[in-house]
Amino acid sequence: MKRYWWLGLVFIVALILPFVIGEFWVHVAVEILILGLFAVSFNMIFGYMGQLSFGHAAYYGVGAYATGLLMVKASVPLPICLPASMIAAGICALIFGYFCVRLTGIYFAILTLAFGQLMYYIIFQWYSFTGGDDGLQGIIPPDFLFSATAYYYFTLFVVAAALIVIWYISESPFGYTMRTIRENPDRTRFIGINVKRYMLINFVIAGMFAGLAGGLWGPFNRSIAPDLCNWHQSGTPVFMTVIGGPLGFFGPMVGSVIYTFLMAFVTGFTEYWPLTIGLVIIFVVLFMPGGVLGFFEERVKIIRARALEVGAGESSEKENS
Amino acid sequence: MDTSLLLSQFLSGLSRGMVLFLIASGLSLIFGVMNILNFAHASLWLVGAYFCYSFWVLLQGYGFGMWVSIGLAALTLAAIGWVIEVVLIRRVYDRELPEQLLLTYAMVLIIGDLIKLTWGVEDRIIARPPLVEGPVFFFGIPFDSYFIFVILVGFAVAIGLWWFLQKTKYGHIVRAAVFSREMVSALGIPIPRIYTGVFVLGIFIAGLAGGVQAPVGSITLGMDMAIVVQAFCVVVIGGFGSLLGTLVGSIIVGEIYAFSILFWPQGALVLIFVVTAVVLIIRPWGLFGTPMRA
Repeated sequence: MKRYWWLGLVFIVALILPFVIGEFWVHVAVEILILGLFAVSFNMIFGYMGQLSFGHAAYYGVGAYATGLLMVKASVPLPICLPASMIAAGICALIFGYFCVRLTGIYFAILTLAFGQLMYYIIFQWYSFTGGDDGLQGIIPPDFLFSATAYYYFTLFVVAAALIVIWYISESPFGYTMRTIRENPDRTRFIGINVKRYMLINFVIAGMFAGLAGGLWGPFNRSIAPDLCNWHQSGTPVFMTVIGGPLGFFGPMVGSVIYTFLMAFVTGFTEYWPLTIGLVIIFVVLFMPGGVLGFFEERVKIIRARALEVGAGESSEKENS
Repeated sequence: MDTSLLLSQFLSGLSRGMVLFLIASGLSLIFGVMNILNFAHASLWLVGAYFCYSFWVLLQGYGFGMWVSIGLAALTLAAIGWVIEVVLIRRVYDRELPEQLLLTYAMVLIIGDLIKLTWGVEDRIIARPPLVEGPVFFFGIPFDSYFIFVILVGFAVAIGLWWFLQKTKYGHIVRAAVFSREMVSALGIPIPRIYTGVFVLGIFIAGLAGGVQAPVGSITLGMDMAIVVQAFCVVVIGGFGSLLGTLVGSIIVGEIYAFSILFWPQGALVLIFVVTAVVLIIRPWGLFGTPMRA
C-alpha cells in the first residue's frame, strides 16, 4: 500500500480544492469527476477486457434519464435515484451486452455503436416519456447539495467510493480473469472459464458505473438531453482513455483531467473546441501511443536506465583503475 | 394505401439508398482493402457538397454550371483524400484498431470545424437547372426529377466499380489485397501505393456523392453525423468489402427508411439500427461478405 501514498495526497488536495479555486473551476472539477468515472467504467471494457465499446454513452444516458425522470416526475430523493440509475443502466447493459460479447474487435465496436444509436433514437423519439429533443429540465438537487461546492463534495465522495469498488474488482481474481481474456480468450476457455459469461458480467458492471456517472450528471447540469446518448458522447471516454493511457487504472481519470480542463480553458476564448481536441488526439495517436501516463512511464524508465548505466559505468571505471 | 403511393415511396427510398450507396461503397472498399474504418468518410462527403456549392456559385452564369460543379467537387475531394492518406493514414497502417478509429474520429471533429470556418453556419442551397427542376410523373404520381439523376449516378458508380474490380488489372490487385496483403506484397506489388490509390478512389466517390447530394436540398452543418452511422449500417448489413452487398444493403436501408416513414414515422431510424444489430448478431460478416476475416 506504500506505493499509493500519492493517492491520499490527491484526495487531500481534492478536499481543499474548493477553498482555493473560484466557482467556475469548482464546476469544472465536478465535470472532471463525473466524466472521469464514466471513462474509468469505459476502460473496464477497453483496457481490461480489450474490446472497444463505441456505444458506452447508452448506459451513461440511461443512467442520466433514470435519475432525471425519477426526480422530475416522481420527486424521488437523489440518494435513491443513483442506485436506480445503476440498476436501469445495468439492465440495459445486460440486454445489449448479451449480444455484444458474442462478437470481438471491429464487430464488437460496431454493434455497441448500433445499440448506442438505437438507445439515442428511442430517447429522441419517445416524446411523451422522455421529452424527446427538448430534454428534461428542472432536475434540481436537494437543498443541502444546491451550491456548487456542496455538490462537488457529494460527487467527490460518490466517485471516490465507486473508484475504490472498481479498483477492488480490477484487482480481484475476476479482474485478472478479464486480463487473461484480453490476452488470450482461447486459452482462457481451455482452463474452464466461461469467457462469454465473464465478459457479460464485466460489461454489465461497466454499464452500471457509467449509469452512476450519468445519474450524477443530471442534477449537476440541472437538465439532460438525448445527446447524452449520441455517439459523440461515446467518443468522449475513448478520447480521455487514449489521452490518459488505457493500461493504468488511473489513466482515464488523468485523461478526464486533461480533456475537461482543456475544454474549459479553450472554450473560454474560441468556439472551435472540436478542432482543438481533434488536433490533440491526432498528436497523441501519432506521437504518444501509450497516452500521457504511458509517455511519462517511458521517460521515467529511460531516465532510470540512464542512471543505472551511469552508475554501472562509474563502478566499472573504478575497477579498471 | 394504393399502389401508386407505394411506388413513389419505393422510388424515394431508392434514391436515398443510392446516396447511401455512394458513401458506403467507398467506406467498404477502404475497410476491405486497408482494414481502416473511416469515421470521417461522411465528413468528406459533406465537404464535397460544400465544394459543389462553391463551384456552382463561381459558374452560376453557365447553364451547365451545376453538372460541372459535381465533377469538380469529386476531383477536389480526390486531391484532399490523397493529402490525408499521405500525411495521416499512412502513419497508422500497422497500428491497433482503436488508434486508427480515433485518428479518423479526430478527423470528423477537425473537418466539421474547418467547414464551419470556411463556409460559415448558414445553410446553402443550389438552384437546380430547368432540366431537373420540376417533378416527373409516374402513373400520375409526381416524383422529383433530380432523384432520377441520383439513382442513375448510383447505378453508374456501381457498374463502374464492378467493372474496375472484375475486369481491370488494378481491380484484380485490389481484390487480391482484400484476401491477402502479404501475398500481394510478395508478388512485388507496392502495397502502400495500392492503399493510397484505394483511399483516393474511396474519397473521390464520397466527393461525387457529396456533389450529387448538394442540389437535393439545403446543405447543412452536421449532416454528416447521422449519415456516417447509417453508412456503417449499410456496410454491416451488406458485408465488409462486398460491392454487391453494399448495393443491396443501401437499398434495404433506404427502403426501410422510406416505408417506415409511411407506417411508423418515429421508428424509422430505430428500425435501421434494429436490422443492423440483428444482422451483426446472426451473420457478423454481413449478407454478402465472407466469414474469413471475422
